[in-house]
Amino acid sequence: MGTARNEMAENATARSQVYGLLAAVFRAEPTEVFLKEIKGSHFSKVFAELGVELGQEFYDRPEAELQEQLAVEFTRLFIGPGPHISAHESIFIDLDGSEGEHWGPATVAVKKFIETAGLDYEQSFAGLPDHVSVELEFLQRLAEWEARKWCEADAESADACLSVQMKFIAEHPIKWVPEFCAEIIKKAEQPFYREMAKVTRSFLQFDHDGMATMNADAGQGACA
Amino acid sequence: MNKLNRRNFMTLAGASGAALAAGAGGSEQALAGSIKLQKGGRDFSPTTMKERKAIPTACWGCVTRDAMIGFVEDGRLKKLDGNPNSIRTMGVICAKAQAGVNQVYFPDRILYPLRRVGKRGEHKWKRVSWDAALDEIAARLKKLRDAGTPEKFMYHYGRHKASQAATMYDFMAAYGTKTIGNHTSICEGSKWVGQESLWGGMYDNWDYDNTEFVVNFGSNQFETHTNHIPTSQRLIRAMVDRGVPLYTFDVRLSATAAKSTEWVPIKPGKDGLVMLSMCNVIMNEGLYRKDHFKYMRVTADYHASVDDKIAAVKASVAKFTPEFAEQESGVPADKIKQIARGFAKAKSACLITYRGTCMHYHGADQERAAMLLAAITNNLDTKGGRVMGVGAGWKAPSSPKAKVHKGLNIKDGFPGEAAFPTHHVSQSVLPLIKDGQLGRPEVYWWSCHNPAYVYGDNKAIEEIMKDESLMPFTISSNIVYDESSALADIILPDVTYLERWDWEDMVSPPQVAEFYIRQPLVKPLGEARCQGDVWPDLAKRIGFELVYKDKEDYVRQSCEMTPGVKEAGGFEYMKKHGVWHDKSAKPNFGFYEKTVDVSGDGVILDEKTGVYWNWKKAGVASEAEAKSKGYLGTKGAKKAYVAQNIEGTARSAYPPNTKFLKSGLLDFYSDNFAAKGFPAFPTYTPVPEHEKMGKDDLILTTYKVAVHTHSRTSHCKWLTEIKHDNPAWINPKTAAERGIADGDEIKVVSDIGEMTTTAYVTEGVVPGIVAISYHLGRRYSGIYGSGNSDPINGGAAADRDAKNKWWKKHGNHPNALIPNWSDPISGAQRWMDTVVRVAKA
Repeated sequence: MGTARNEMAENATARSQVYGLLAAVFRAEPTEVFLKEIKGSHFSKVFAELGVELGQEFYDRPEAELQEQLAVEFTRLFIGPGPHISAHESIFIDLDGSEGEHWGPATVAVKKFIETAGLDYEQSFAGLPDHVSVELEFLQRLAEWEARKWCEADAESADACLSVQMKFIAEHPIKWVPEFCAEIIKKAEQPFYREMAKVTRSFLQFDHDGMATMNADAGQGACA
Repeated sequence: MNKLNRRNFMTLAGASGAALAAGAGGSEQALAGSIKLQKGGRDFSPTTMKERKAIPTACWGCVTRDAMIGFVEDGRLKKLDGNPNSIRTMGVICAKAQAGVNQVYFPDRILYPLRRVGKRGEHKWKRVSWDAALDEIAARLKKLRDAGTPEKFMYHYGRHKASQAATMYDFMAAYGTKTIGNHTSICEGSKWVGQESLWGGMYDNWDYDNTEFVVNFGSNQFETHTNHIPTSQRLIRAMVDRGVPLYTFDVRLSATAAKSTEWVPIKPGKDGLVMLSMCNVIMNEGLYRKDHFKYMRVTADYHASVDDKIAAVKASVAKFTPEFAEQESGVPADKIKQIARGFAKAKSACLITYRGTCMHYHGADQERAAMLLAAITNNLDTKGGRVMGVGAGWKAPSSPKAKVHKGLNIKDGFPGEAAFPTHHVSQSVLPLIKDGQLGRPEVYWWSCHNPAYVYGDNKAIEEIMKDESLMPFTISSNIVYDESSALADIILPDVTYLERWDWEDMVSPPQVAEFYIRQPLVKPLGEARCQGDVWPDLAKRIGFELVYKDKEDYVRQSCEMTPGVKEAGGFEYMKKHGVWHDKSAKPNFGFYEKTVDVSGDGVILDEKTGVYWNWKKAGVASEAEAKSKGYLGTKGAKKAYVAQNIEGTARSAYPPNTKFLKSGLLDFYSDNFAAKGFPAFPTYTPVPEHEKMGKDDLILTTYKVAVHTHSRTSHCKWLTEIKHDNPAWINPKTAAERGIADGDEIKVVSDIGEMTTTAYVTEGVVPGIVAISYHLGRRYSGIYGSGNSDPINGGAAADRDAKNKWWKKHGNHPNALIPNWSDPISGAQRWMDTVVRVAKA
């Protein structure tokens, strides 16, 4: 049983890490450190396995140049001006007859969900509460907490947290992030965002489908 | 991409974990605190109880700036309504005000600072931080300031009023530039110049609550007036409750004309003539009232008797017979007589004018004719008449001024372009920058303004803004990507007016000042920042300090130092109630009659003009020198004006509160005008281009509709759904002569440009003109206004409501046909004078 919980903790940690990475992809323009990491050996194997094709230019270009290129791409794709892909749930989701605008009912629902879980928005955070990076970061934080609870042998809290994550994924990102990613795949000029969108879409679906099973497998005992 | 499985998921996770550990996640995350989930899987469904807050604020949809209440639910602005405690608006707002909700949430909104990375106008941008943007701006401005050339920084604003303007001017004075452009000359500058030359001030108001008769020349009062809601409802009430007649002279059957007692069609540019003709009737039939003549100067003689003045006015208007006016204006002589008699015989009467009257060649003189008509019937600043507007006089903190404070002389038009550009010549700013003879700014920053759209010959303006050799560095503060911000080097995301602090001061129809504030209803979206918050930040980066830390602080300080507001409870009172007025104040009528004590130290009587003035205050060395030079001959004497001798009594009369040096008399005979070669007395001057028109020529006139401003509303879907097309109005006779039928595509051609639009053949416009509203025909500004955004792509297109957008037309912009040409008196743009040819496309 302990092994099962170990697995749950390991799994939650892994999920937290992936969500953390994806949140960083969409939060802001990439930093040189970020790009260096993505180019590094940690990712080369899994990218090859997954068929993530960032293109040779991505690897050949110096980080500083690549950063500038991707900053322009990020602005074009997600910021505007002009036609862009708004990275906010309320733009994609109609709730209560809303009109798909900024700070719609979906924004409020996300904000309340996050606040009900005990988190708040940083004072310095100037974005909107339902930005894709916020939703991914929230899942990162929940999965991280869940992992800790498994390690503390607090299966009840860990289970509850799993339920919270399932509920959040079902009510929020799974309803719009795949469509958001599809738009990116269609509009991206640089392979980086196109491929990251594919990874995001794929992982979200994978997590969504797999969580019920994980929850059912939850066990008792100490964390290794 | 291959499918994820547990194995590659774990590999991905391992790589991700390593990357995050190496700092790839960045330091700025969105969420703070720690997870607090209760044991036992408690249902944490968010509460369904929605909190609604009602917050007093103020509109900015147009210059009227109505006091409002914003209703906020779950942090989202849901609805805007009038503030029932406002004595100005009486709790009413218009459609534009209600659609303010769209201003905040339209998905095309600019939410982050942007730096151009491609060629100017190439639409290639990179998001930058506020720090990066302000550091770059500060470095450029500091360099200019340190070099002793702060004037090479130009700030050009569209709509700035009250504390929004005050904080900007405070920063600019502390920085040191006087190169500050505005937009009044494309709005109504000639009207103000005409008034300033007479009663020494401007912003006329109309006492509809007490009037018995109203005559309107060229004002769309019920749709778009400068003080729309506060005045329109009072005029409607007067008409409905008291049967007050309203006669509207207009080239077009506007909604105002349609609601009037009678629409009197008139040819363009003839309003002043008809007013002078009404004066002719009134003087000849002895219907004038003597009361105001003692305050009037109608010949060069400052001391003429009332009887002499009456005779002089009679003589001056003798040639403007109703028959002559009919011949020129198309208004039947009998109609002129009938309305003139009604106006003069009414116990009180209001005379309204606006762009239809003033935005012509010699428009300022047409306004002077209007003032003459009001004065001879004693309807100037009297109960029920045309009165001097009363606004709130706020006190505000002031930062230390820069040691070097100067400006480029590019605000007042080309040399000789305008005699009295007291409200500047904004349409000539960009052409002057191109010309270069008066210098060029190195940094050009515009805000709440869209020069490439709102001026005449706007295509040429766009080319100037695009040219980096003429305009090396450009900054736009904006909420929307429009024709001009597309040409900026840096775009700073401004807040909407519903996300910021201000104190407000617009004219109050009850003639009792209303003090009111604007406060944020919601947190600014994204990284939008109020300019009043940016100024102190930018000042620090350049190396000086302002006396307020942000806009809220500025408003707070103002509330605590403004008499009346302070005693009522200051900032906290204003936050709670939004509006304040002195309940014991009496309506301010007849300020000119106030007697003045002239026994003060240094006060002397100028024998020539009858002005009491304080030579000490004027900075003259001695009384003897003051008397020798005289009031008119002393620089700065205007500021030392005390009173006017009116039949032996010192009265406040009409002080020279603006740039015109004048006595306290209403200068219907104006030395200022005569000295510049313009008619000293109001007269009729035909528009020169109209005199030379060929038989196929028409006059282009433009106008506003109720649901749009010039350039700040087309992204508002509620408004654009109502009005998204602007066909050309053309009279059936005029249309038939050109073989044009209703709905035909037509080409309108001027000497500088052409446009294709649709004909709206209607009796609602006089023959010989074509009328096109100017709010539409946007190239940018989102899908609702321009239709240019692919409905799948994102931005406005990501708005789910876009699928409900049923309209396909987005109108055509007429400004490309209209040259930037000025009234030689005031420098106001001559919107209504352009000669065009119209034919089937």
